[in-house]
Amino acid sequence: MSIFTPTNQIRLTNVAVVRMKKGGKRFEIACYKNKVMSWRSGAEKDLDEVLQTNSVFVNVSKGQVAKKDDLSSAFGTEDLTEICKQILAKGELQVSDKERQSQLEQMFRDIATIVAEKCVNPETKRPYTVSLIERAMKDIHFSVKANKSTKQQALEVIKQLQQSIQIQRAHMRLRFVLPARDGKRLKEKLKPLIKTVESEDFDEQLEMVCLIDPGCFRDVDELIRCETKGKGTLEVLSLKDVEEGDEKLE
Amino acid sequence: MGHTILEKIIALQKKTSNIRNLCILAHVDHGKTTLADCLVASNGIISSRLAGKLRYLDSREDEQIRGITMKSSAISLHYTAGGNEYLINLIDSPGHVDFSSEVSTAVRLCDGAIVVVDAVEGVCPQTQVVLRQAWLENIRPVLVINKIDRLIVELKLTSQEAYTHLQKILEQVNAVTGSLFTSKVLEERTEKDAEAQSSCTESGSGDQVYDWSAGLEETDDSDLYFSPDRGNVVFASAIDGWGFSIHQFAEMYSQKMGIRSSVLLKTLWGDFYLNAKAKKIMKGAQSKGKKPLFVQLVLDNIWSMYDAVVTRRDKEKVEKMVTSLGLKVMSRDLRHSDPKVLLSAICSQWLPVSQAVLSMVCEKLPSPAEISAERVEKLMSVGARRFDSLPEQTQELKKAFLDCSADETAPVIVFVSKMFAVDSKALPQNKQRPLTQEEIAQRREQARQRHAERQAASQSAENPGSVDTGGVSTPAALASGDVSDALCAQTEALSVKTAVEENDKEHFVAFARVYSGVIRKGQKVFVLGPKYNPLLALRALPEGCSAADVLPSVPHMALCTVDRLYLLMGRELEELEEVPSGNVLGIGGMEEFILKSATISTSPACPPFTPLNFEATPIVRVAVEPKHPSEMPKLVRGMRLLNQADPCAEVLIQETGEHVLVTAGEVHLQRCLDDLRERFAKIEISASKPIIPFRETVIRPPKVDMVNEDMGKQQKVAVIHQVKEEQTKYPEGIQVDSTGLVTLTTPNKIATVGVRAIPLPEEVTRLLEDNVELIRTMEQFSLFAWEDKTLDINQKILENIQDFKVKLESNLQGRKWRGAVERIWAFGPRRCGPNILLNNVEGYRRPSVWQCLEREKETEKAEIRDFDNSIASGFQLATLSGPMCEEPLMGVCFSVETWDMKLSVPLAQKDSIDDDSQAAEPNNDDHSERSDAHETNTSSASSNQSRSRVEVAGGSVDCYGPFSGQLIAAMKEACRYAFQAKPQRLMAAMYTCEIMATAEVLGRVYAVLSKREGRVLQEEMKEGTDMFIIKAVLPVAESFGFADEIRKRTSGLASPQLVFSHWEVISSDPFWVPTTEEEYLHFGEKADSSNQALKYMNAVRRRKGLYVEEKIVEHAEKQRTLSKNK
Repeated sequence: MSIFTPTNQIRLTNVAVVRMKKGGKRFEIACYKNKVMSWRSGAEKDLDEVLQTNSVFVNVSKGQVAKKDDLSSAFGTEDLTEICKQILAKGELQVSDKERQSQLEQMFRDIATIVAEKCVNPETKRPYTVSLIERAMKDIHFSVKANKSTKQQALEVIKQLQQSIQIQRAHMRLRFVLPARDGKRLKEKLKPLIKTVESEDFDEQLEMVCLIDPGCFRDVDELIRCETKGKGTLEVLSLKDVEEGDEKLE
Repeated sequence: MGHTILEKIIALQKKTSNIRNLCILAHVDHGKTTLADCLVASNGIISSRLAGKLRYLDSREDEQIRGITMKSSAISLHYTAGGNEYLINLIDSPGHVDFSSEVSTAVRLCDGAIVVVDAVEGVCPQTQVVLRQAWLENIRPVLVINKIDRLIVELKLTSQEAYTHLQKILEQVNAVTGSLFTSKVLEERTEKDAEAQSSCTESGSGDQVYDWSAGLEETDDSDLYFSPDRGNVVFASAIDGWGFSIHQFAEMYSQKMGIRSSVLLKTLWGDFYLNAKAKKIMKGAQSKGKKPLFVQLVLDNIWSMYDAVVTRRDKEKVEKMVTSLGLKVMSRDLRHSDPKVLLSAICSQWLPVSQAVLSMVCEKLPSPAEISAERVEKLMSVGARRFDSLPEQTQELKKAFLDCSADETAPVIVFVSKMFAVDSKALPQNKQRPLTQEEIAQRREQARQRHAERQAASQSAENPGSVDTGGVSTPAALASGDVSDALCAQTEALSVKTAVEENDKEHFVAFARVYSGVIRKGQKVFVLGPKYNPLLALRALPEGCSAADVLPSVPHMALCTVDRLYLLMGRELEELEEVPSGNVLGIGGMEEFILKSATISTSPACPPFTPLNFEATPIVRVAVEPKHPSEMPKLVRGMRLLNQADPCAEVLIQETGEHVLVTAGEVHLQRCLDDLRERFAKIEISASKPIIPFRETVIRPPKVDMVNEDMGKQQKVAVIHQVKEEQTKYPEGIQVDSTGLVTLTTPNKIATVGVRAIPLPEEVTRLLEDNVELIRTMEQFSLFAWEDKTLDINQKILENIQDFKVKLESNLQGRKWRGAVERIWAFGPRRCGPNILLNNVEGYRRPSVWQCLEREKETEKAEIRDFDNSIASGFQLATLSGPMCEEPLMGVCFSVETWDMKLSVPLAQKDSIDDDSQAAEPNNDDHSERSDAHETNTSSASSNQSRSRVEVAGGSVDCYGPFSGQLIAAMKEACRYAFQAKPQRLMAAMYTCEIMATAEVLGRVYAVLSKREGRVLQEEMKEGTDMFIIKAVLPVAESFGFADEIRKRTSGLASPQLVFSHWEVISSDPFWVPTTEEEYLHFGEKADSSNQALKYMNAVRRRKGLYVEEKIVEHAEKQRTLSKNK
């Protein structure tokens, strides 16, 4: 055990500790802050920019270096760089402020982008811009949860946004052809699921073009498939019903 | 304004020959509005003391704050000269480049123009522009050289120097006019040549006679130029309120010196001098070193006046001068501490500027009745159509134009050049005015009644119980009284509310001029839009019909009743009953019918007037958003109003949902935003850079690297490194061979697809883009064919499709494209985009996309065919958003090389599919929440499944979701990886940019262009002028602020125009890193500075919240040190 005297002591600043338990022992390495996530994502390729020092510790704050035989028994190698890389890749760490901030920001954007892609302004049938959605999300004090997927959160936020701005999910345009026998019966069952019927043609078969909420597509599909035993056809004409092209306001 | 003047004006409006419609044009800050102030002051509308300071016609707040005019506004003035009374409709116009559209609207309505030039600055860019505008509209200009006082006070020139300076300015102005003239003559000549040539070729005569004379000699141009002795130049100082033409001095001195005024008139300007001994006027002042006559007789007087009043402040001399000129100056002015006050008091009496300018205008500018036949034809023939080609009835209207008569029988022709918004408070009908006797009586009566009611109620309340029933009746009466009162209050409140709402509404007044006939209140007229075609209308309408009849609707024509007519008096409007021809007027209540400009007529044969010549086209684009997202509808309404009120602004909603505002320049933009905020939308808004679209594509592997070294030889070092990286790029389960063939299996191991991405030739991409409509028709046909129905396509479209196919075949030559056209599977994205899916699967036949061309139908159906659509959908999804930054693909061909299906796999086995296959499905993390979140894939997936009508392989039992969904996901991923296996490139939208610039600023233009990654395509000198026309392409991404920068750098001498033209591949690879020695040497280790494509890509990714490969902190050691308790 080394003696702490000012001369043989190296103080580290800006330390981010990455820990890993292996072979019943705890190992730690000293890294720079805000760098470990970059390393994991592959943006940072220079190991020296990540590691403060090449040595593996048992306890970084106390400066206790891990014993060589512990290392070799746990990792099967004595190459410190290799061990550091392993710990960096799999160890646990405290995410630092900037890392967390950039991650949340990115997720926030992602959610806004998903919302903008999925939704339209019901009056104009045109999408909202991402920046407008972002602002609306901030207005309702939406906070991102890092452990939930962005898609899930996007769907939640749409519901919340509906209270403050005019927004709805872009409708899906479907066309189905049903055999005449089942036509009438099925139509009644489908009615609650359909938003608007655009055209209806009933001679030999029932042919309908309609708009539905994308959320209930599964039900529609299931219903038609089961009830007609595969005789009815269902076809998606467009995934989202939006106005295309530029429009001049006049 | 007094009633007398209004009545006089109404009377004068009927005398067409005494009307002058004119506008004031000049470069910014040359004193248009000040001059207009002086003219307005002459009519007593504003005090002459305030003239030049008030800027009466700048009625907007921001105009007053910024000190520049932003809109054209009109005022009617009355002027008496030589026993004749004149009505002058004066239009003041803005001088700033951004508002040159306003100048166009003003110029169109006028017959003449006052061009103002600053005596110090001389001819400026906008002076040239306005001269050109006046020229193009065939209106006659007169010149006012303004701010002569600056020559005396600021520059301290002697009178002799000032004379030469003024001469130079005149020469400059005349040079501009001359160049306009020559370019017109040359143009006409080339036209004539072209005609002659075409006739030559028609007649087939071999011997051609060339006429080399430019035709300049034959055409007389002397009446175009400005010259003081011709009486079309006024020297003035509007701020001090003086101005003169040579006439005035000629008359003054002819009496004094006994020389005939006609002689003086000719010699007062020019190289003449007065020989004092001989009392003769001699030529050659310059060579003999004598003072020219102009200096001696005119300038010296003014100089000595300024000397006495401003410089030396010599009281005695001033008094002497005043008495000798026979003027009366108030002692208050004489004692004033500011010499300017005294000066303007003297000058405005001695040489009033309004007198000089207005008399010149009345003499030199034509009245509306003198409209030239040439101008009429120009106005009536829209676009490239010649006047002769118009229908006969229309040609007859020309006579009405020329007559300009205010007869009852004459057809009414009115042109509306712009719509302007007026606060409803400013409208005369809403103004507070003294009540008439009857109204007062009526109100008194009402008040009395109310008072009586109230008294009755209180009385009945005072004596309760007088009668038995009283106890019952009084509360009832009270109650009823209360109720009625309450009702009254309510209705009053309501009416107040509606009144307030009405007040909030913006009213639009059309800025117009009557060209023929008399327009009356309540008259029924046709409103003809700019695209109206009289030929079609005449066919559709019965002969001799009028606007009062019920008529079938004709495109671009509307019927309406003239609601209100206004006399435009600057900030105020006065209501009129009728307006005879030749006058400028405002028409109210037209906002429903007119967007920006229109022609109003009682005859349907009237053609719409030629569109206005806009010198500046809108090019500055911004995206506008409300601060609070819930106020979106208000913004849309506001933008609509803005569009109507501004002749030059354009608003549009883009496919992305952005509301884009396009304006002529930064100042114009600022004004539009202010208008939106304060008048039209009344909400807080924010303007930002618009979203810039990109496309993704692949290219052939490049032959040379970034430092232009041949690849292949020294690649050795790098290859190893690259291969290593590539392996990490692809997850397990995807095989990529060296030719870029990607093979991928669905998670349930049933289907395997092999896809290769191939770049399409450029011509093919363009062909696909141009024929979107045809592709859509073909797609529809295939869809119907699938359901055993047929869609009838007319013969012409079929021919077009055939043509399109032949063209595709001719562009897809070469070994690898053999038979490709026949094997096209689908187009994408959205089934009609510029990407192709090719069917190269051996032994797989499917109906061709061209089946609408073949009549017979194939009926064979294989099992595999049921999943045909899943493959196509996967392709559609992949092309809609590429792997680089989720932007659509363009010009990529995906060729499906293999497609194996193991449909025989028993169900039992499927359940036991090992877990590691999950890694093969790159989308696997989405599976868990697929139920709702991910129906984009699954929806179309299951739809296809149900369409397939076969319950295949137990899709519902499969733990990976429906099978066709898996196939779509697999196909999509395969396409994405195939795309990534090729050299990827970003495509940027490009503008073509046309820049007009003079020779001296060419270098600056090039500097701005190259700074913004622009590329010059050609540069050409415009014939007959010193202007260059530069054609360049510029990435849309770099265009934000471009117009502003180029104007600043060239001091306004270059004006760009931007039009979207095409997509262009950015040559640099966004994923490029230096690999060879030379590249390291040239770009350094990181090489991130020069990579334009990477910059664009990361910007898009960051905007969309996608992962950007970027370090959070660049240097680990350079972070702020937070040391632990030291």
